Amino acid sequence: MADTGPDFQRLGDDLYRHWESAMSTWWDQVLESDDVLRATGQNLSAMASARKSYEEGVDQGLKRLHLPTRQDLIQVTRIATLLEERLLQLEDRLLRMDDGVTQLQEHIVVLERETVQARIEAAEARIELREGLAKITARLDALEPASAPKKRGQRRAPARSGTKARSASKARAATAAEE
Amino acid sequence: MAPKLHTATAPVAEALRRAQVLTSFLASRPVARARTGQTPHRVIHRQNGAALRYFPPSGARVRPPLFICMPLINTWTIFDLVPGRSVVEALVQAGVPVYLLDWGRPTTADREVTLQDLVDGVLPRALDRALRHARQHHGSQTLDALGYCVGGTFLAISLARQPGPVRRIALLAAPIDFHASGRLSRWARPDRFPLDDLVDGLGNFPRDLMRASFQALRPTGQIAKYKTLWDRAADPEFRKLWAAIEHWNADNVDFPGEAYRSYVRGCYFDNALMKGGWTLAGRAVDLKKGALSALAIAAEQDHICPSVAAFGLKQAWGGPVRTTTLRGGHVGVCLGQALPRTILSWLDEARP
Repeated sequence: MADTGPDFQRLGDDLYRHWESAMSTWWDQVLESDDVLRATGQNLSAMASARKSYEEGVDQGLKRLHLPTRQDLIQVTRIATLLEERLLQLEDRLLRMDDGVTQLQEHIVVLERETVQARIEAAEARIELREGLAKITARLDALEPASAPKKRGQRRAPARSGTKARSASKARAATAAEE
Repeated sequence: MAPKLHTATAPVAEALRRAQVLTSFLASRPVARARTGQTPHRVIHRQNGAALRYFPPSGARVRPPLFICMPLINTWTIFDLVPGRSVVEALVQAGVPVYLLDWGRPTTADREVTLQDLVDGVLPRALDRALRHARQHHGSQTLDALGYCVGGTFLAISLARQPGPVRRIALLAAPIDFHASGRLSRWARPDRFPLDDLVDGLGNFPRDLMRASFQALRPTGQIAKYKTLWDRAADPEFRKLWAAIEHWNADNVDFPGEAYRSYVRGCYFDNALMKGGWTLAGRAVDLKKGALSALAIAAEQDHICPSVAAFGLKQAWGGPVRTTTLRGGHVGVCLGQALPRTILSWLDEARP
């Protein structure tokens, strides 16, 4: 004969499985039974009514003693809850206003950036124009000896400022046109 | 012939060893001492007990932020149970900034909180605050949103009513076709379930009743969990996880009464997310108006929200819907590695 004893673990597991299966079947019948469920409902209803009567009795006793009742407590808490809700609604509004201000600030920053950019571009355009004018002036100055030969003894003008040079050039150009 | 003594006594000795380990384990009150929700985070917004928890990413690569809407009937810590078994931990380690909406613990005084307070007030505002934070800290202009269980149902309702800053949604084990949600839907019928009596009499729907209902869905489950503990008694990591799950299981929260009345009437009694015709505060609850791209995730062995109930989104939702199924039950699906992997791959799909 094999040298093994009974497997108590397996035996226990099998017993448990059979017990659970049988109990589950029985409980399923009980807990799905219309009669049981109706009776449970009636029982719960009676329990709730008894509890309500008891609490109404306690409330009346407290009222006679001029003490706050459970109903008073519930009403005060409801008021506190509604007040908290109002406060949070105000907080919501403030947060939305804050969102609006933030958006406005972002918009202003964008606008400012665009304005500064436009001013920089205008300034750059003016600088370019001036440089262009200066180049033209320089060319005109360079053309000057060729178009109008210097008279003997005429001294070369010292280095002139841009404005003076331009007015002199203009004058020379006008003279040339008249000629 | 009788078995030899040493082979017959070995299983008994083993059983005694296990019993000793488990006795000392249970005597140390592991469930009460279990610590959940340990991933570092901070609360960035509060409203009437609800808290928006921000978990900063810890990975080198930052992924798109994720908003998570948790269910109202349990605590949020199922997504951060223990290190190594935490959805949130896995996500932040992969570089996802996580914003988690924890609904808090409604008290007796919250019985008049309505469903529209939650889906039109708390939830959209939490989304707004999460987006503001994500925009400031992570340069994100939109959020992806994940809802678990009832949190997913609420997320769908809320986003169908007001789209907000969300780009796409994923609903995990979130019932949409409530008449397909198994035993719960058969219990919660107007002729059997005294909804108005319960809300009028008890105020909030009490957590003890909630826990009892879920336990009654699988009565043998209460024995099965001890059987599993017995089988894996030698594994200290499993014992730790078992205690954490039990800790979470015992930590239900009350459902605010008026919100519960609307939820059960609209979802369970009328199945209005599928059939339509539901109005909240004068506005229709119409999931067909939801235009976002959606992913419905179901768990294979889910007895609370079977895949048919979760995949009802395909018919009900206005936008494109994809579906996928993961291994595990309604709770177990949150404990494996498959869920964070699925979420990460879903988040990466949308990267520009």
